Amino acid sequence: MTGRWAARLHLPTLAVAAVVVAGWFLLSWRYGAFILPSPLAVLHGLVEIVRSGEVWKHTGASLARIAVGFGGAVLVAVGMGLVAFLSRTARVVVDDLLAVLNSTSVFVWIVLSIIWFGLSSWAPIFTTFMITLPVVASNLVEGVQSVARRLLEMGDVYRLSGREKFRAIVVPSIVPYLVAGMKVGFGLALKVSVMAEIFGVTTGIGYVMNYSREILATQMVFVWALVMILVMMATDKLVFDTVTRRLTRWR
Amino acid sequence: MAVALEVSGVGKDFLIPVIDSVSFAVEAGDFVCLLGPNGCGKTTLLRIVGGLEAPSRGAVTLGGEPVVGTGRHTRKVGVVFQEDRLLPWRTLRENVELVQKPLGADAATRRRTADRYLRLAGLGGFEDYYPAHVSGGMRQRTAIARALAIEPDLLLMDEPFGALDAQNRRIMQNEVRRIWRETGRTILFVTHAIEEAVAIGTTLIMLSARPARIRTLVRNDGRVERAKLIDDLNTMIMEEVERQQSGGAPGS
Repeated sequence: MTGRWAARLHLPTLAVAAVVVAGWFLLSWRYGAFILPSPLAVLHGLVEIVRSGEVWKHTGASLARIAVGFGGAVLVAVGMGLVAFLSRTARVVVDDLLAVLNSTSVFVWIVLSIIWFGLSSWAPIFTTFMITLPVVASNLVEGVQSVARRLLEMGDVYRLSGREKFRAIVVPSIVPYLVAGMKVGFGLALKVSVMAEIFGVTTGIGYVMNYSREILATQMVFVWALVMILVMMATDKLVFDTVTRRLTRWR
Repeated sequence: MAVALEVSGVGKDFLIPVIDSVSFAVEAGDFVCLLGPNGCGKTTLLRIVGGLEAPSRGAVTLGGEPVVGTGRHTRKVGVVFQEDRLLPWRTLRENVELVQKPLGADAATRRRTADRYLRLAGLGGFEDYYPAHVSGGMRQRTAIARALAIEPDLLLMDEPFGALDAQNRRIMQNEVRRIWRETGRTILFVTHAIEEAVAIGTTLIMLSARPARIRTLVRNDGRVERAKLIDDLNTMIMEEVERQQSGGAPGS
């Protein structure tokens, strides 16, 4: 029993964390609150924004933009996956297009989105969309290629209808790839949209982090970074891990 | 209902001729074993009979109805492949239920039929297991139950026990023989193991080296002693293997 609890609590990790926090204490004492605020100040800041409700306002704003940008990317990626499944020619085009998108820097989309959409929510939304689309779509196209021809042939032998083959063979083959792509894509979406929020919007984690820097409240930069990490880990554990476990019961 | 199978002048070329010309007729309810050296075109012939591939020449009829390359004839053909080809994300029962859908049976009937054939294949109690959670032999038996569940006019089996160890192989041979007796299906069974063919088949067809022709066709009705039959067939297959290695049959 104790062994299992030790594993669940990641005791060695906790030990390392304790050492890091102790070092952090010493360094903050040496360099002062502007360069490196103490862990206590960060904890205090976190309690403050939770109490004032500010944490929900900015996290909510960031997540809403991600929902639109990343959600749109997932929809378009599913469309691309379908097209790639139906036609070999389309698959080549989609593959090449994704290779180009994958090689484009985040900064390109941030700058372009400011030029095109001005200082509005659409800038981070568009940036998130363009960055996560190739990640999710590449996974889906890979999934499409992995649909076993042998199983499809089995479907032909037993004269399953096209719809039945799609439902029973194609979709279950591809869904794990979609979920894996969405997991990576969501992590990227959070990082990228926050970056794009530095420009031109007045809500969101990215905005408030940059604002904290401007008013010299360095401890709040740490606080919001912590919020981001917590959101990330929570969605990973609560959403994606649960979905993946559900989908792979048969393994 | 089991039906008669007629293969007339069937040949297949890929880049080279693989099957020269093969003709034989099988009566309804026969258990036919197709023998021959590795790579002589046994699987190709089975795929042509099953309508999975179109022949370059010749024709196949099932109960008098032509089998075309797309498999769109009205006869029901069940196929057991070398691998089980089960859907890993469906339970054993769901796998057997799925193939009955095109036959138009309602859900309750599908379930009853699935359970009946799973039991027949010795899988009672394992209906709700996923394929990954049962042994290879059980998966292959599920594939056989699936093929039987459509109550096929013809059952094609392509070295279905190739991946099994000797003991499981023996058990499965007995099972298939029993299922054949109980259901009376026409079976075409591809194997390269002569003892296996002699143990379970009623008609044995030996193909020659590539490009395949019929080397011999014997009724395994006990008129020829088993040991002698096995010896004769072994001699023949060794000749054909040698011929294939030295590059093709003479006179072709």
